[in-house]
Amino acid sequence: MTEKTKEYILKYSIPSLAVLVIAIHFFFVNTQNLNAWKGGGYGMYTGIHYQYNQIYIPGMSVDSLISKKGEMKSIFDRLKLMPNKTNLKKAAILVLKTRDKDSVHIQIWKPAISRVDNTYTRVLIDEIYLKNSEL
Amino acid sequence: MTIEERLKNNIALALQLLLLLVGVYIIIMAEEFRIWKIPLLIIGLLSWFFFGNKTKYPIIWIMLFMILIVDLCNLYFGVANHHFMLLYMVLSVLLYFYHKRTEILQKNIQMLLVVVVITSVVQKLMSSQFINGDFYYDMMNKGGLFRVFFRFFPEKFELIKSNYQSFLDLNNTNPNLYKKIELKTIIPHQASVSLVFAWVTIFVEFLVALFILVKPKNTWTHLLFAMMILGVLCTRLETGFMALLSICGLLLCHNLKLRLLYVLMVVGCITLVVTKFGFH
Repeated sequence: MTEKTKEYILKYSIPSLAVLVIAIHFFFVNTQNLNAWKGGGYGMYTGIHYQYNQIYIPGMSVDSLISKKGEMKSIFDRLKLMPNKTNLKKAAILVLKTRDKDSVHIQIWKPAISRVDNTYTRVLIDEIYLKNSEL
Repeated sequence: MTIEERLKNNIALALQLLLLLVGVYIIIMAEEFRIWKIPLLIIGLLSWFFFGNKTKYPIIWIMLFMILIVDLCNLYFGVANHHFMLLYMVLSVLLYFYHKRTEILQKNIQMLLVVVVITSVVQKLMSSQFINGDFYYDMMNKGGLFRVFFRFFPEKFELIKSNYQSFLDLNNTNPNLYKKIELKTIIPHQASVSLVFAWVTIFVEFLVALFILVKPKNTWTHLLFAMMILGVLCTRLETGFMALLSICGLLLCHNLKLRLLYVLMVVGCITLVVTKFGFH
């Protein structure tokens, strides 16, 4: 390796690594619905934080489900961060297994604000209906 | 050694501050994944104490890098964006111990800054919630922006608290009812201010990225960059990330007065991080 090539690699390898991580971030944003705040893509403060996303399960209190640190909390946190079909199904399976139910309906909502008419509401991102018989 | 002499050796000073910042960050994150971190810390610290002076390898930096990697591997989508930036910077320092060439370290930092700031601009342009001002509008209503200043105005602070309570009450209702709430504005002409502020943010960040790319050591570049960092700190206490950006500025800047400003900002941010007044 020539001295010039070595110098070039030393100068640009780390910034290139940063670009690669950003490319991975955008891949996950576009394919897995990853929130812009995370994953090394420097998209923080570009939209309302994903922790304000709301998981809604009719007839069940989500707060009591995730009151303790554990698998349920980590799966629900992942669902807020990456609200996609896979994470919805994982959450639904876990609820069915731990709550002894025949079926479950889980929705994930995100906040929506309008500065023009000064209103704040929620918009459905995705939902899943899962029966025990489908497991 | 006088303050001026210390400021003249900006690389050594920046590495010292970075070491302090990474140390603080790692202590704050220490509770996660202890099973990996305990052996790393024991081996790293013992090697540093006993062989630190005898070996050419930067043991302490290698240990810190490995600990940062542990958090990254276990929490890739959980760690903050500045965790990635910290990793790139520590990696640049490790490489610096190998090549020992200041201009290569500075090129690493310069390009890293350009990549990070320009990506931040692109992300903002891609977010409709940001470019139409809705995001800043929401942040102001809930006290996410200029919170430090609003504390001096009790009536504004009460409005923020009331808005936050309305938001919590809304979240306790069934979202399928599509209920809407009206939040109280905190400042006059908030809708227009939010929109203008969003575009000013994009413009300033773009200018900073451009200046750092074209004139990385110029005094005007660093004046603008330092103003941007101070501006961010006034809007929200993103102290961890801003300390990192200030260290980058210190590594690149030629002007002694601006170097002093960067040092003050890093020390101020680290103090706020340690006392948990700011974000880590």
